[in-house]
Amino acid sequence: MSIEIKLFRPNRIYFPAEPLEGKIILKSPSSISHYGIRLTLDGSVNRQVRGGSAGAIEALYGAVKPIRIVNKSVEIRPAGKIGSGTTEIPFSVIPRQQGDDRFYETFHGANISIQYLVTVDVMRGYLYKSLSATMEFIIESDKANLLEPPVPPEMVIFYITQDTQRHPLLPELRSGGFRVTGKVSSQCSLLDPISGELIVEASAVPIHSIDLQLHRVESILVGEKIVTESSLIQTTQIADGDVCRRVTIPIYVILPRLLTCPTVLAGPFSIEFKISIVITFESELAKLHPKSDPKTPRLWLAMETIPLELIRTK
Amino acid sequence: MEFRHRNYRAEEEAHALPRSRAVTHPLSSQSSPLHKVDVVDDEKIDFYDPLRGASADAIDVEDLQNDASTTGLFSADAIQVQAKEWTSFKRLLMQRFSSSKMVSVATTSDVIVKSGKAFQKSSSMHLQELDDPQKFAEEGVKVITWQEYVSRLHELKDEISRAWRAEDRVTSLKLSIKVARLLMDTSVLQFYPTLFVLATDVMDMLGDMVWERIKRKAEFAEDGTPICSLSESFEASDICFDAKETCNNWFCKIGSIRELLPRIYLELAMLPCCRFLHDQPINNLNRLVMMTRGVADPLASSYCRLYMVHCAQKLPTCDRGYLISCISDIKILLMRMISEKEATHGNSSANKRLLVSLMEPTIEYIMKCIFKDAYQRQVGDILVKLGLGRNESELFGKFPFVSIILHHLLKELPTEVVSSNATEILHLIESCNDYSFDQCLNYRLLGFRLGERGSQMDMINAIIDKVIQVVAQFNCLDEYLKVVDAYVDIVLQNQMDNYLDAILEGVSKRACNKEIDESELGSLQSIFSKLLAHFNNLEDIFALNHFVEILDVMYGSSRNIINMHILNIATRNGYIHDPATIRLLLEISQSLHDGIDLFNMKDNDSQQTARLISRFVQMVDYGIEMEHHLTFLVECRGAFSNIEELKETLVHSCNCLAIKAMKEAKKHISFVKSCIAFSEVTIPSISACHKQLNLYLETAEVALVCGLVSHSDGLIDSALGCLQTLDLMDGFQILIDVDGILSLIRKLCSLLVMVPGNPEQGATFIPKSILSLVSSQSWITPKMRARISCAIISLSATLSQNKLPYHVDNIEILGNDLLFFGDSTYLQDLVSLSDFVLKELCNVIQQEPSQAARGSMALEACNCIASSFKVSPELSPICSKLMETAQLCLSSNNKYLQSTMKLLGERLPSFPAAPSIIIR
Repeated sequence: MSIEIKLFRPNRIYFPAEPLEGKIILKSPSSISHYGIRLTLDGSVNRQVRGGSAGAIEALYGAVKPIRIVNKSVEIRPAGKIGSGTTEIPFSVIPRQQGDDRFYETFHGANISIQYLVTVDVMRGYLYKSLSATMEFIIESDKANLLEPPVPPEMVIFYITQDTQRHPLLPELRSGGFRVTGKVSSQCSLLDPISGELIVEASAVPIHSIDLQLHRVESILVGEKIVTESSLIQTTQIADGDVCRRVTIPIYVILPRLLTCPTVLAGPFSIEFKISIVITFESELAKLHPKSDPKTPRLWLAMETIPLELIRTK
Repeated sequence: MEFRHRNYRAEEEAHALPRSRAVTHPLSSQSSPLHKVDVVDDEKIDFYDPLRGASADAIDVEDLQNDASTTGLFSADAIQVQAKEWTSFKRLLMQRFSSSKMVSVATTSDVIVKSGKAFQKSSSMHLQELDDPQKFAEEGVKVITWQEYVSRLHELKDEISRAWRAEDRVTSLKLSIKVARLLMDTSVLQFYPTLFVLATDVMDMLGDMVWERIKRKAEFAEDGTPICSLSESFEASDICFDAKETCNNWFCKIGSIRELLPRIYLELAMLPCCRFLHDQPINNLNRLVMMTRGVADPLASSYCRLYMVHCAQKLPTCDRGYLISCISDIKILLMRMISEKEATHGNSSANKRLLVSLMEPTIEYIMKCIFKDAYQRQVGDILVKLGLGRNESELFGKFPFVSIILHHLLKELPTEVVSSNATEILHLIESCNDYSFDQCLNYRLLGFRLGERGSQMDMINAIIDKVIQVVAQFNCLDEYLKVVDAYVDIVLQNQMDNYLDAILEGVSKRACNKEIDESELGSLQSIFSKLLAHFNNLEDIFALNHFVEILDVMYGSSRNIINMHILNIATRNGYIHDPATIRLLLEISQSLHDGIDLFNMKDNDSQQTARLISRFVQMVDYGIEMEHHLTFLVECRGAFSNIEELKETLVHSCNCLAIKAMKEAKKHISFVKSCIAFSEVTIPSISACHKQLNLYLETAEVALVCGLVSHSDGLIDSALGCLQTLDLMDGFQILIDVDGILSLIRKLCSLLVMVPGNPEQGATFIPKSILSLVSSQSWITPKMRARISCAIISLSATLSQNKLPYHVDNIEILGNDLLFFGDSTYLQDLVSLSDFVLKELCNVIQQEPSQAARGSMALEACNCIASSFKVSPELSPICSKLMETAQLCLSSNNKYLQSTMKLLGERLPSFPAAPSIIIR
C-alpha cells in the first residue's frame, strides 16, 4: 500500500492566489475503507539561532517558535471505500486564505527557512496505521503585486584601492598600490543575473583572482535582541589570473534558486543580501593558507561589499 | 633442286600498292568540321563538368551567401560542412603538437589521477622529460604519461555518456565540469592542444545531449504525445514552458560553477540551447566574448576563444563582430606578453616562443573564419575594427600591431585588397617586428600574395625596391633567401632585370664561402626552379651573373633537382652546339651521375637521371668538329660508366658520327676507323646480350657502308660470339627475349645479303656458323630453329640470284652477285646448304609440341620453299608432307592454310594434294 502526491507543475512553483493542483495516487493490493481523506497546506517561517551575534543562552535555546503563514485543511473525500489497484484522486486548493496579510516566498537559508508543505492523510481509525504523504511546493509572489523590472537596473559604482581597505594588507600591496573600478547591480530582479563590469586599472602585484561573493544576511528577533548572521551563498570568479589592465571585464552572476528570495524586512525576522568583490593577489603567504575562510579579510585580499536588494519582478 | 630465279624490281612493281599524294598530314592539327559537330552534340548530353559549372554559377553562389547572411537562414548542410572542417582541424592540431612526454598533473584534479597509476615524486622519473620540471618539484604534483592522460579522458567521456543514458544527468554534468576544469592548467604546454581537443569533445557531446533532451521536451509531452515539430529556424516562442524551464535549469546549474574558465566552456557547449529561451543568442555570445577577457592566461584564453568560434558556428546568425573582438583581445594579450620584461615573468624567450606557437592555430582559425565569405566591401570595415585604420579609406595607418596576427591576416586578405594596399602593408610589416613571428616570413608572405595576380607596375616597382632595400640589411642567408624567393616570380614576370641582378648578387655575397644548411638549400632550389622555368633558354640562364657560382654552392638532392631541370631545358630545344655550354652541362651531368645510388639503379629518380644524361649526350652536336665530338664521347664513356643506357647512346652517336664523317669526305677514313673502334670497344661493356647483338649488327652495317669490310666481318663474328655466350650470360636472367633474338638473327641474315663473301672461308661460312650455333644452343626452341632455317633458305635463294635486291651504299664494295658471278662452286655451295637446312627444317617441325604452332610452322616452311625453289620432283613429297602436317594441325578454314594452298597450286601445278584439299 503506498500513497503519493503529484503536482501538475514539474517545477512545483505556485502563486498564493492560484490553485495548487495535483493528484493523490493510491496504490493498494486490496480495497480499503477509510474515514475520510484530508489535504493540509502548511506554510511557516522557521527560525533558528546558531552562533552569529546570538548570545550563549539564545544559542542553547535554539529554535524560536515558528511563524505560521498558512494552515489550511480540506476534506477531499468523505469516509468511504477505495478499490484495489491504483486510484488517482485529483485535488485543487488555493493556498491564500481570506484575510491573509502576507505570503513570503520559499527560502532555505542558514537560520531562516520559509517552507510550504502539502500533506495528504487517509484516516483509518485507531486500528490501522493512517496513510500519509508530504510534499514541498514553492511559493513565489503573486504576479499582480509585482513591480515592473527596473529600467535601467540600479547600479553602484565602486572602486577598490589600497586606501579603501580597512584591514591590514601586505606591505607590497600598500606600497605598490592597485586600483580596480567598476559598477555592479545594487537592486536586482531574481530572474536576472547580477550584472556589471570591472576594470583593473592598475596593480603592481599580480592579481591571482577576482571573485564575486553573494552573501545572505539573516536577522531574527529573539526576545528583545536582534540576532544577525551573514553567510556565503555562492562565489563566482570574474577574473582568473593577472588580467590585462584597462580592459572591461563583465560581471554576470546568475542567482541560485531557493537559496535566494526577495529581500524581506518583516518584524520578527529579515532576509537581506549583499555582494562582495574580492581581489586575491599573488602571494607566497596565500599558498600557505589554501583553505581559509573566504569571509575573513586577509593580508593578500582586497574587497568591497555592496548591499544587494533582490526583488521579484514580472 | 634449283633456286627460283627472281626479278626483284619487277616483283616490287607488280606487288606495290597504288599510291596517291596526300595534301595534308593525317595527324596535323587542322581539325575537320566534322569534329566540331561532334563537340556540339556532346554538349547536348546532360553532362556536368564540375569546373565549368562552378565558374558559371559563381555569381549565384555569392548571392546565395549574401542571402544567407542577411536573412539568417542556415542549413543543416552548412553545419555538417563546419563539423567536418572542425574534425580535420582538431586532427591537425593534435598532430602538430604531439610528443610522448610526461604530463604533470596537480593531485587536486582527482578526475585524472584516480587510480594509483601516477608516479609519485619519489619515483625515479627523469625530470628533463617533463615540460615544466619546476612545477614537478612543487608539492602535490603527480606525473603521468600523455597516453595515460588521453586514455583517462576517453574513459571520462564514456562515463559521462553512460551516466546520461542512465538518467543520471547530475553526474554527467559534474564530470563534465571536472573535465572543463582540466583546461585551467596550462602548465602542460605542448599537451594543451591535445587536452583541448579531448576536453572539447566532451563539451560538445554534453552540449548535444542537452540540446536533444530539451528539443525532445519541446516536441513531445511527458507521455510521448507530440506537441509540435520544430523546424530548423524555430523561435523561442515555439517552445513550451516545460522545455524552457528545463533549459533554464541547465543554465542555472552552469552559472553556479565557481571558476570562470569551466563556466565559459560549459556555457559555450550549451550556447545553441539559448535559442530555446530567446531569439537573440548572439547577445549571450557577445557577453561570453567579454567574459573571456577575465581569463588572463594567454594559452587558456586563446583556446577558449577558439572553442567559442566553433560553438558560435552552430548558431543560425552570426556577424563577424565577435570574431573581431576575439582577435583584438588576443592581440591585447600578445602585446602585453611582448612588452613584458624577461625578469618579471621568469619566462625564458624560448618558452615564450613556444607559447606563441601553441597559440598560433587559434589565431589562424579565427582569422580564417573572419574572412570566410567576406566580400571586398566588408574587408575595409573588418580592418578598421581590427584597429588597422581610422576609416575605410585610410587603412593600414601607423597602428601598433602584432607580427603573428599580421601574418595570418595577410594570409587571409583577399588578393585585391593586398595588391591595392601593398605599400601600406609593407609599412605595417616593417613596423611589426616582435618575437611572436619572424618578420622576414611576413615579407615573404607579402611577396607570395602579390604574386597571385598582376598589379600596377609603378606600385610593384616601389614595393620591390623597398623589399630589396630591406633584405640588403639582412645578414642571415636563410632569411634573405626566404624573402627573395617570394619576390623572384614578380621580378621575372615584370622583367625587372636590375632587381634580379641585385638579388643574385645578394645571394652570392651571402652564400659563397659558407656552409649551406637544409632550409637554405630548399629556398635556393625554389629560386632556381623559378629562374629556370622562366627563362627556358640555357644561354640566357648561364649568362645571369653569379648563376653558376651559386649553383656550385648547392649540393645533395636540391642540387640534383636543379641539375636535372637544367638538363631538361638543355635537351628540349634541339641540338647543343656551344662548346662552353656542353662543358658546363657535362659537369652538371657528372655531378648528377655521381649522385646516383648504385644500389638503386632501378628506382624512378635514377632512371630519369640516366635518361636525361643519355638525352644530353644524344643532343650534343659539334658540327664539323667531329674529332671533338669523338673526344666528347670518349670522355662520356669514362665519366658515366654506371649508366647502361648511356653506353648504347654512345654507340649510336658514334655510329652516326662515322656516317656523317663518311658523307663529308673520303679522307676521313682514319677518323671513321677510330669511330668504329670506339664502338667495338664500347659494346662489350654493355651487359644485356641482345643489346650487344643489336649494336654489333648496327656497327657492322656502318663499317660496311664505310667500306671497312674486314671490320664488318670482325663485328659480325663478335655478334656470333655474343650469341654463343648468350646462354651462359642469361642463365640467371628470368626472361630471355626469344623473339627479339630471333628477329636479330633474321636481321643478320638480311645484312649478309650485302656482305661480300670471304673467298678464303667460302661465301656460306657465316650462315653455316649460324646453323651450327642454332643446333648447339639448348635454349633455342624448335619454332625458333624452324624460322632461322627458313631465313637461311631465303638468304641462300637470294644470294643465288644474278642481281641482288639491295647493295651497300658504297660503290667500292662489290656484292656477291658481282664477286661470284657465274661461279658454279658458289652456287653449288648454296644449294647444298639449302638442301641440308631443308632436311633439318622438316625434322624440327615434327619436334614442335604445340599443335597450332606446328601447323603454322609447316605453312611457313611451305611458303619459304615455294618462293625459294623451282618446281622439282624432290620437293613435292616434302611439300605434301608439310601440308599434311598443317592440315592435321589446323582447321580447314584457316586463312593462312587456304592462301598457302593457293600459292602451292600456282607454283607447283604437279602438287598432288592441292586439288583434293580444295575439294574437301
